Amino acid sequence: MKKTINSETAIVIPVYNEDKVIGGVIKSVMKEFKYVICVNDGSSDQSSVEISKTGAYLVEHPINMGQGAALQTGIEFARKLPVKYFVTFDADGQHRLEDVRLMLRTIAKENRDIVLGSRFLGDTIGMTKSKRRILKLATTFSNVTSGLKLTDTHNGLRVFNRRFAESLQLKVSDMAHASEILEVIAVGKYDYTEVPVTIEYTDYSKAKGQSIINAINIGFDTLLRRISR
Amino acid sequence: MIIFLQIVVIIVALSIIATVLVGKQTHAARAWKKIALCILALCMVVAVIFPDLTNMVANLLGVGRGADLLLYVLTIAFIGYAINNYLHRQHDEHVVHKLARRIALNEAENKYKI
Repeated sequence: MKKTINSETAIVIPVYNEDKVIGGVIKSVMKEFKYVICVNDGSSDQSSVEISKTGAYLVEHPINMGQGAALQTGIEFARKLPVKYFVTFDADGQHRLEDVRLMLRTIAKENRDIVLGSRFLGDTIGMTKSKRRILKLATTFSNVTSGLKLTDTHNGLRVFNRRFAESLQLKVSDMAHASEILEVIAVGKYDYTEVPVTIEYTDYSKAKGQSIINAINIGFDTLLRRISR
Repeated sequence: MIIFLQIVVIIVALSIIATVLVGKQTHAARAWKKIALCILALCMVVAVIFPDLTNMVANLLGVGRGADLLLYVLTIAFIGYAINNYLHRQHDEHVVHKLARRIALNEAENKYKI
């Protein structure tokens, strides 16, 4: 059962300047999954070379466009593969494969359109207090703007089916794509659920992670998108 | 009376911003923006020739001196301009990103023969 699900799943990994860790992350993912798609988002380091050394599909953005744009590209590429499920996965190694397994079991068993990872149902290793506070605030904000009921709205780990993947047309290129995905769920009335996941905040991922002040930009763009056009 | 006029001024200001935000980029909308800009320039010319006129209009609207009125008009014009520009830039960026994505996908599909 598990084996068949994994061979029908595409793992989409947006990559931006992750040459130190990306090789290891891909290797561990490829032990279980056949279809791994890395979108190199115009990295200025050796990420592209590191990805090429592995057996993962490499899609190269000619310019840097942001994580949301990279996800959209990866999903569009993955739609052409013979897969049923799509997973969005971070390149910095903070997501765990056992959580992906659980999410895949959930989406298949409960027949959902999308399963979202939640840090606040699960464990957070090494999360700072200020980050926790900001994330709670962002969650409240996103629940209000999207009308969904979630415990963690800005988690990079998601699993969704082909129906959802085909309908996804992300316009927001930067980090605000997380809110945009929630709006897609709300507008399309997709069947969603949350699964507890553990995020490991290593010094590496903390240094790479987005700064808290960026929440202002995300909030502004989300509101602007709601009222304009 | 003055309070009433102040409210009118505020409503006009907010509706300008709302128009910029919600308005579609139709030919008419673009034409109106040009007309508004011309009117603003014309007002400036008139204000320079008849300096007392701005004071009179300001008193009429209840916003104090003519210089204050100019400042408020400019502030609204600037905010409208900034939002308009921001939306335009986002739109342009989106177009460029779609193009770049097409290139990236074409390249990858050729490489992997899918």
